[in-house]
Amino acid sequence: MDIETLHLGPFKIKNKIAIRLFSALDDRLGVKEIVDDEVFEKIVPAHLGFWSCFGGISFFLFISQALTGMLLMVYYQPTIEDAHATVAMIMNEVPFGWLVRGSHSWGSNLMLVTIMIHMVKIYVSGIYKPPRELNWVVGITLLLLTMGLSFTGYLLPWTQLAYWATVVGTETPAALPYVGEYIRYIMRGGEEIGQVTLTRFFAIHVMLLPVITASVIGLHLVQIRRQGIAGPM
Amino acid sequence: MTKETSAGTPNETRRGFFLTLLFSFFGSVSALGFAYPMGMYLWPRERVLKGTGARTMKIPLSDVPIGEARFVRFLGKPAVVVRPNEQLTIALSPVCTHLGCIVKWREKEKEFLCPCHGGRFDVKGAVLGGPPPYPLPTFITSLEADYVVIKEA
Repeated sequence: MDIETLHLGPFKIKNKIAIRLFSALDDRLGVKEIVDDEVFEKIVPAHLGFWSCFGGISFFLFISQALTGMLLMVYYQPTIEDAHATVAMIMNEVPFGWLVRGSHSWGSNLMLVTIMIHMVKIYVSGIYKPPRELNWVVGITLLLLTMGLSFTGYLLPWTQLAYWATVVGTETPAALPYVGEYIRYIMRGGEEIGQVTLTRFFAIHVMLLPVITASVIGLHLVQIRRQGIAGPM
Repeated sequence: MTKETSAGTPNETRRGFFLTLLFSFFGSVSALGFAYPMGMYLWPRERVLKGTGARTMKIPLSDVPIGEARFVRFLGKPAVVVRPNEQLTIALSPVCTHLGCIVKWREKEKEFLCPCHGGRFDVKGAVLGGPPPYPLPTFITSLEADYVVIKEA
Protein backbone atom coordinates (compact mmCIF):
# COMPACT_ATOMS: atom_id res chain seq x y z
CA MET A 1 0.00 0.00 0.00
CA ASP A 2 1.65 3.22 -1.12
CA ILE A 3 -0.10 6.25 0.24
CA GLU A 4 1.68 9.54 0.88
CA THR A 5 -0.48 10.78 3.75
CA LEU A 6 -2.34 8.79 6.33
CA HIS A 7 -5.49 10.47 7.62
CA LEU A 8 -6.34 9.57 11.21
CA GLY A 9 -9.04 11.83 12.55
CA PRO A 10 -7.53 15.32 12.64
CA PHE A 11 -3.99 14.00 12.13
CA LYS A 12 -2.13 13.79 8.85
CA ILE A 13 0.77 11.38 9.17
CA LYS A 14 3.51 11.74 6.55
CA ASN A 15 6.30 9.64 8.12
CA LYS A 16 6.92 6.72 5.72
CA ILE A 17 7.88 4.19 8.44
CA ALA A 18 4.86 5.06 10.58
CA ILE A 19 2.57 4.70 7.53
CA ARG A 20 4.05 1.31 6.59
CA LEU A 21 3.78 0.00 10.18
CA PHE A 22 0.21 1.20 10.46
CA SER A 23 -0.71 -0.17 7.02
CA ALA A 24 0.73 -3.57 7.94
CA LEU A 25 -1.50 -3.69 11.03
CA ASP A 26 -4.46 -2.33 9.07
CA ASP A 27 -4.14 -4.94 6.30
CA ARG A 28 -4.21 -7.76 8.83
CA LEU A 29 -6.55 -6.52 11.55
CA GLY A 30 -8.53 -3.63 10.02
CA VAL A 31 -7.14 -1.23 12.62
CA LYS A 32 -8.07 1.96 10.77
CA GLU A 33 -11.76 1.15 10.87
CA ILE A 34 -11.62 0.59 14.64
CA VAL A 35 -9.57 3.72 15.30
CA ASP A 36 -11.87 5.85 13.12
CA ASP A 37 -15.13 4.45 14.47
CA GLU A 38 -14.24 4.05 18.13
CA VAL A 39 -11.89 6.98 18.69
CA PHE A 40 -12.09 9.83 16.18
CA GLU A 41 -15.61 9.47 14.83
CA LYS A 42 -17.06 8.33 18.16
CA ILE A 43 -19.81 10.73 19.13
CA VAL A 44 -20.10 11.48 22.82
CA PRO A 45 -23.73 12.33 23.67
CA ALA A 46 -24.17 16.00 24.49
CA HIS A 47 -26.10 15.35 27.71
CA LEU A 48 -23.13 13.73 29.43
CA GLY A 49 -21.64 15.88 32.16
CA PHE A 50 -19.68 15.88 35.40
CA TRP A 51 -21.74 13.16 37.10
CA SER A 52 -21.34 10.82 34.13
CA CYS A 53 -17.59 10.62 34.68
CA PHE A 54 -17.48 8.60 37.88
CA GLY A 55 -17.59 5.15 36.28
CA GLY A 56 -14.57 6.12 34.22
CA ILE A 57 -12.86 7.61 37.27
CA SER A 58 -13.45 4.34 39.16
CA PHE A 59 -11.89 2.47 36.23
CA PHE A 60 -8.91 4.82 36.24
CA LEU A 61 -8.50 4.24 39.99
CA PHE A 62 -8.60 0.47 39.45
CA ILE A 63 -5.73 0.76 36.94
CA SER A 64 -3.85 2.98 39.38
CA GLN A 65 -4.42 0.47 42.20
CA ALA A 66 -3.11 -2.34 40.00
CA LEU A 67 0.07 -0.40 39.13
CA THR A 68 0.83 0.89 42.65
CA GLY A 69 0.01 -2.59 43.98
CA MET A 70 2.62 -4.14 41.70
CA LEU A 71 5.16 -1.59 42.93
CA LEU A 72 4.32 -2.35 46.58
CA MET A 73 4.81 -6.07 45.94
CA VAL A 74 8.43 -5.34 45.02
CA TYR A 75 9.23 -4.69 48.71
CA TYR A 76 6.34 -6.17 50.71
CA GLN A 77 6.76 -9.60 52.32
CA PRO A 78 3.60 -11.40 53.48
CA THR A 79 4.95 -13.02 56.63
CA ILE A 80 3.91 -12.11 60.16
CA GLU A 81 7.55 -11.39 61.03
CA ASP A 82 8.28 -9.11 58.09
CA ALA A 83 4.95 -7.69 56.90
CA HIS A 84 4.89 -4.66 59.19
CA ALA A 85 8.66 -4.12 58.93
CA THR A 86 8.56 -4.06 55.13
CA VAL A 87 5.57 -1.69 55.11
CA ALA A 88 7.46 0.60 57.53
CA MET A 89 10.49 0.34 55.25
CA ILE A 90 8.40 1.32 52.21
CA MET A 91 7.05 4.33 54.13
CA ASN A 92 10.32 5.52 55.71
CA GLU A 93 13.26 4.32 53.66
CA VAL A 94 12.36 3.53 50.05
CA PRO A 95 12.46 6.73 47.94
CA PHE A 96 8.89 7.77 47.09
CA GLY A 97 7.63 4.68 48.93
CA TRP A 98 5.28 6.99 50.88
CA LEU A 99 3.88 8.13 47.53
CA VAL A 100 3.27 4.62 46.23
CA ARG A 101 1.71 3.30 49.43
CA GLY A 102 -0.20 6.56 50.00
CA SER A 103 -1.64 6.39 46.48
CA HIS A 104 -2.63 2.76 47.04
CA SER A 105 -4.34 3.27 50.40
CA TRP A 106 -6.01 6.59 49.50
CA GLY A 107 -6.91 5.19 46.09
CA SER A 108 -8.75 2.28 47.70
CA ASN A 109 -10.89 4.62 49.78
CA LEU A 110 -11.43 6.98 46.88
CA MET A 111 -12.40 4.11 44.58
CA LEU A 112 -15.30 3.15 46.84
CA VAL A 113 -16.40 6.82 46.99
CA THR A 114 -16.37 7.17 43.19
CA ILE A 115 -18.21 3.85 42.78
CA MET A 116 -20.90 5.08 45.21
CA ILE A 117 -21.28 8.36 43.30
CA HIS A 118 -21.42 6.37 40.03
CA MET A 119 -24.16 4.15 41.48
CA VAL A 120 -26.19 7.10 42.81
CA LYS A 121 -26.00 8.74 39.36
CA ILE A 122 -27.10 5.52 37.63
CA TYR A 123 -29.90 5.09 40.17
CA VAL A 124 -31.38 8.59 40.14
CA SER A 125 -31.17 8.80 36.33
CA GLY A 126 -32.97 5.46 36.04
CA ILE A 127 -30.23 4.10 33.78
CA TYR A 128 -30.47 0.69 35.48
CA LYS A 129 -33.87 0.15 33.80
CA PRO A 130 -34.32 -2.22 30.83
CA PRO A 131 -32.37 -3.04 28.75
CA ARG A 132 -29.58 -2.32 31.20
CA GLU A 133 -30.66 -4.39 34.24
CA LEU A 134 -27.95 -6.97 33.64
CA ASN A 135 -25.25 -4.31 33.67
CA TRP A 136 -26.58 -3.09 37.03
CA VAL A 137 -26.12 -6.63 38.34
CA VAL A 138 -22.59 -6.76 36.92
CA GLY A 139 -21.96 -3.37 38.54
CA ILE A 140 -23.11 -4.64 41.94
CA THR A 141 -20.73 -7.58 41.47
CA LEU A 142 -17.94 -5.06 40.87
CA LEU A 143 -18.91 -3.19 44.05
CA LEU A 144 -18.70 -6.42 46.06
CA LEU A 145 -15.37 -7.33 44.44
CA THR A 146 -13.99 -3.89 45.32
CA MET A 147 -15.15 -4.31 48.92
CA GLY A 148 -13.47 -7.72 48.96
CA LEU A 149 -10.25 -6.12 47.75
CA SER A 150 -10.51 -3.44 50.45
CA PHE A 151 -11.16 -6.02 53.16
CA THR A 152 -8.29 -8.35 52.21
CA GLY A 153 -5.87 -5.47 51.62
CA TYR A 154 -6.60 -4.02 55.05
CA LEU A 155 -4.92 -6.93 56.87
CA LEU A 156 -1.68 -6.84 54.89
CA PRO A 157 0.23 -4.14 56.90
CA TRP A 158 -0.25 -6.42 59.95
CA THR A 159 -0.84 -3.58 62.41
CA GLN A 160 -3.10 -3.69 65.48
CA LEU A 161 -5.78 -1.91 63.46
CA ALA A 162 -5.44 -4.40 60.60
CA TYR A 163 -5.44 -7.39 62.93
CA TRP A 164 -8.51 -6.41 64.95
CA ALA A 165 -10.41 -5.27 61.88
CA THR A 166 -9.90 -8.75 60.47
CA VAL A 167 -10.96 -10.31 63.78
CA VAL A 168 -14.22 -8.38 63.57
CA GLY A 169 -14.57 -8.92 59.82
CA THR A 170 -14.22 -12.69 60.13
CA GLU A 171 -16.34 -12.83 63.29
CA THR A 172 -19.28 -11.10 61.58
CA PRO A 173 -20.17 -13.92 59.13
CA ALA A 174 -19.77 -16.37 62.04
CA ALA A 175 -23.11 -15.02 63.31
CA LEU A 176 -24.89 -16.67 60.37
CA PRO A 177 -26.85 -19.71 61.47
CA TYR A 178 -25.42 -23.16 60.66
CA VAL A 179 -22.79 -22.08 58.10
CA GLY A 180 -21.29 -19.09 59.93
CA GLU A 181 -18.65 -20.96 61.88
CA TYR A 182 -17.45 -22.73 58.75
CA ILE A 183 -17.19 -19.44 56.84
CA ARG A 184 -15.06 -17.99 59.64
CA TYR A 185 -12.90 -21.13 59.64
CA ILE A 186 -12.34 -20.88 55.86
CA MET A 187 -11.65 -17.14 55.95
CA ARG A 188 -9.08 -17.47 58.71
CA GLY A 189 -7.58 -20.69 57.44
CA GLY A 190 -7.92 -22.06 60.95
CA GLU A 191 -9.38 -21.15 64.32
CA GLU A 192 -7.17 -18.11 64.80
CA ILE A 193 -5.80 -15.28 62.70
CA GLY A 194 -2.15 -15.96 61.97
CA GLN A 195 0.33 -16.63 59.20
CA VAL A 196 -2.16 -18.79 57.27
CA THR A 197 -4.71 -15.96 57.32
CA LEU A 198 -2.14 -13.42 56.12
CA THR A 199 -0.98 -15.69 53.31
CA ARG A 200 -4.46 -16.39 52.00
CA PHE A 201 -5.56 -12.76 52.29
CA PHE A 202 -2.41 -11.81 50.37
CA ALA A 203 -3.10 -14.39 47.63
CA ILE A 204 -6.73 -13.26 47.34
CA HIS A 205 -5.77 -9.57 47.36
CA VAL A 206 -2.98 -9.63 44.78
CA MET A 207 -4.08 -12.40 42.43
CA LEU A 208 -7.60 -13.85 42.73
CA LEU A 209 -9.72 -10.71 43.15
CA PRO A 210 -7.74 -8.42 40.78
CA VAL A 211 -7.99 -10.96 37.96
CA ILE A 212 -11.71 -11.52 38.52
CA THR A 213 -12.36 -7.79 38.89
CA ALA A 214 -10.49 -6.98 35.66
CA SER A 215 -12.56 -9.59 33.79
CA VAL A 216 -15.86 -8.34 35.19
CA ILE A 217 -14.87 -4.74 34.33
CA GLY A 218 -14.41 -6.02 30.76
CA LEU A 219 -17.94 -7.45 30.85
CA HIS A 220 -19.26 -4.13 32.21
CA LEU A 221 -17.62 -2.17 29.37
CA VAL A 222 -18.65 -4.62 26.64
CA GLN A 223 -22.28 -4.22 27.71
CA ILE A 224 -21.99 -0.42 27.62
CA ARG A 225 -20.54 -0.59 24.10
CA ARG A 226 -23.26 -2.98 22.90
CA GLN A 227 -26.13 -0.99 24.42
CA GLY A 228 -24.71 2.47 23.92
CA ILE A 229 -24.80 5.34 26.39
CA ALA A 230 -28.25 5.83 27.89
CA GLY A 231 -30.23 8.79 26.58
CA PRO A 232 -31.02 11.90 28.61
CA MET A 233 -33.65 11.72 31.36
CA MET B 1 -9.02 32.90 12.72
CA THR B 2 -11.25 31.51 10.05
CA LYS B 3 -13.25 28.34 10.21
CA GLU B 4 -10.45 26.28 8.74
CA THR B 5 -9.22 25.37 12.23
CA SER B 6 -12.11 22.95 12.61
CA ALA B 7 -10.44 20.87 9.91
CA GLY B 8 -7.81 20.55 12.63
CA THR B 9 -4.58 19.90 10.82
CA PRO B 10 -1.94 20.16 13.54
CA ASN B 11 1.37 21.68 12.47
CA GLU B 12 -0.29 23.50 9.60
CA THR B 13 -2.11 26.19 11.54
CA ARG B 14 -0.89 28.43 14.32
CA ARG B 15 -3.39 26.88 16.71
CA GLY B 16 -2.36 23.39 15.68
CA PHE B 17 1.29 24.23 16.13
CA PHE B 18 0.81 25.67 19.62
CA LEU B 19 -1.43 22.79 20.65
CA THR B 20 1.23 20.30 19.57
CA LEU B 21 3.85 22.30 21.47
CA LEU B 22 1.66 22.48 24.57
CA PHE B 23 0.79 18.77 24.55
CA SER B 24 4.41 17.75 23.95
CA PHE B 25 5.61 19.97 26.79
CA PHE B 26 3.08 18.93 29.41
CA GLY B 27 3.24 15.33 28.19
CA SER B 28 7.01 15.22 28.70
CA VAL B 29 6.76 16.92 32.10
CA SER B 30 4.18 14.43 33.36
CA ALA B 31 6.04 11.47 31.87
CA LEU B 32 9.18 12.59 33.73
CA GLY B 33 7.12 13.23 36.85
CA PHE B 34 6.09 9.58 36.81
CA ALA B 35 9.36 8.08 35.60
CA TYR B 36 11.60 9.78 38.18
CA PRO B 37 9.81 8.66 41.39
CA MET B 38 9.20 5.16 40.01
CA GLY B 39 12.85 4.81 38.95
CA MET B 40 14.00 5.99 42.39
CA TYR B 41 11.52 3.60 44.03
CA LEU B 42 12.71 0.58 42.08
CA TRP B 43 16.45 1.33 42.18
CA PRO B 44 18.09 -1.26 44.49
CA ARG B 45 19.58 0.21 47.63
CA GLU B 46 22.33 -1.60 49.45
CA ARG B 47 21.33 -0.41 52.88
CA VAL B 48 23.31 -3.08 54.69
CA LEU B 49 26.67 -1.93 53.40
CA LYS B 50 26.48 1.82 53.55
CA GLY B 51 26.69 3.44 56.93
CA THR B 52 28.23 0.51 58.76
CA GLY B 53 31.67 1.54 57.54
CA ALA B 54 33.14 -1.84 58.53
CA ARG B 55 35.49 -2.93 55.78
CA THR B 56 36.85 -5.86 57.76
CA MET B 57 35.24 -8.98 59.13
CA LYS B 58 36.21 -11.11 62.15
CA ILE B 59 35.57 -14.84 62.13
CA PRO B 60 36.35 -16.97 65.23
CA LEU B 61 39.14 -19.46 64.51
CA SER B 62 37.00 -22.19 66.04
CA ASP B 63 34.56 -21.68 63.15
CA VAL B 64 37.21 -22.69 60.63
CA PRO B 65 38.62 -26.11 61.56
CA ILE B 66 41.86 -27.17 59.84
CA GLY B 67 41.15 -28.56 56.41
CA GLU B 68 37.62 -27.21 56.22
CA ALA B 69 36.20 -24.14 54.50
CA ARG B 70 33.87 -21.56 56.01
CA PHE B 71 31.54 -19.62 53.69
CA VAL B 72 30.54 -16.14 54.87
CA ARG B 73 29.07 -12.90 53.51
CA PHE B 74 31.61 -10.10 53.38
CA LEU B 75 30.69 -6.61 52.15
CA GLY B 76 27.47 -8.01 50.72
CA LYS B 77 29.22 -10.66 48.65
CA PRO B 78 30.19 -14.27 49.28
CA ALA B 79 33.61 -15.02 50.72
CA VAL B 80 35.26 -18.23 51.86
CA VAL B 81 37.88 -18.74 54.58
CA VAL B 82 39.93 -21.89 54.42
CA ARG B 83 42.80 -23.25 56.59
CA PRO B 84 44.57 -26.01 54.66
CA ASN B 85 47.07 -26.40 57.54
CA GLU B 86 48.05 -24.77 60.85
CA GLN B 87 50.22 -22.08 59.25
CA LEU B 88 48.05 -21.01 56.36
CA THR B 89 44.82 -19.03 56.48
CA ILE B 90 43.36 -17.99 53.15
CA ALA B 91 40.28 -15.94 52.32
CA LEU B 92 39.02 -15.60 48.78
CA SER B 93 35.97 -14.97 46.71
CA PRO B 94 34.18 -18.25 45.88
CA VAL B 95 32.52 -16.70 42.85
CA CYS B 96 33.77 -18.68 39.85
CA THR B 97 35.53 -16.45 37.33
CA HIS B 98 33.88 -18.38 34.49
CA LEU B 99 30.15 -17.65 34.87
CA GLY B 100 29.69 -16.74 38.51
CA CYS B 101 28.61 -19.93 40.29
CA ILE B 102 29.77 -20.47 43.88
CA VAL B 103 32.62 -22.97 44.01
CA LYS B 104 32.55 -25.88 46.47
CA TRP B 105 35.46 -26.82 48.76
CA ARG B 106 36.62 -30.40 48.28
CA GLU B 107 38.33 -31.41 51.49
CA LYS B 108 40.01 -34.56 50.26
CA GLU B 109 41.47 -33.03 47.10
CA LYS B 110 42.20 -29.69 48.82
CA GLU B 111 40.81 -27.76 45.89
CA PHE B 112 37.75 -25.75 44.89
CA LEU B 113 35.41 -27.22 42.30
CA CYS B 114 32.77 -25.25 40.45
CA PRO B 115 29.55 -27.33 40.21
CA CYS B 116 28.37 -25.55 37.07
CA HIS B 117 31.05 -26.34 34.48
CA GLY B 118 33.75 -28.16 36.43
CA GLY B 119 36.27 -25.34 36.87
CA ARG B 120 38.95 -26.25 39.43
CA PHE B 121 41.03 -23.93 41.64
CA ASP B 122 43.74 -24.70 44.15
CA VAL B 123 43.60 -23.49 47.75
CA LYS B 124 45.16 -20.13 46.78
CA GLY B 125 42.65 -19.58 44.00
CA ALA B 126 44.88 -20.42 41.01
CA VAL B 127 43.14 -22.16 38.12
CA LEU B 128 43.90 -25.89 37.98
CA GLY B 129 41.62 -26.78 35.09
CA GLY B 130 38.34 -26.26 33.37
CA PRO B 131 36.94 -23.14 31.72
CA PRO B 132 37.72 -20.34 34.28
CA PRO B 133 39.91 -17.67 32.65
CA TYR B 134 41.29 -16.05 35.84
CA PRO B 135 42.22 -17.11 39.38
CA LEU B 136 39.78 -16.42 42.23
CA PRO B 137 40.28 -12.94 43.80
CA THR B 138 41.76 -13.12 47.29
CA PHE B 139 41.24 -11.08 50.45
CA ILE B 140 43.96 -10.09 52.93
CA THR B 141 43.86 -12.21 56.06
CA SER B 142 45.52 -11.72 59.42
CA LEU B 143 45.25 -13.52 62.73
CA GLU B 144 44.14 -11.59 65.80
CA ALA B 145 43.99 -13.60 69.00
CA ASP B 146 41.32 -16.20 68.30
CA TYR B 147 40.01 -14.53 65.17
CA VAL B 148 40.70 -14.47 61.48
CA VAL B 149 40.37 -10.91 60.20
CA ILE B 150 39.69 -10.50 56.50
CA LYS B 151 39.75 -7.29 54.53
CA GLU B 152 39.69 -6.21 50.92
CA ALA B 153 42.92 -6.63 48.99
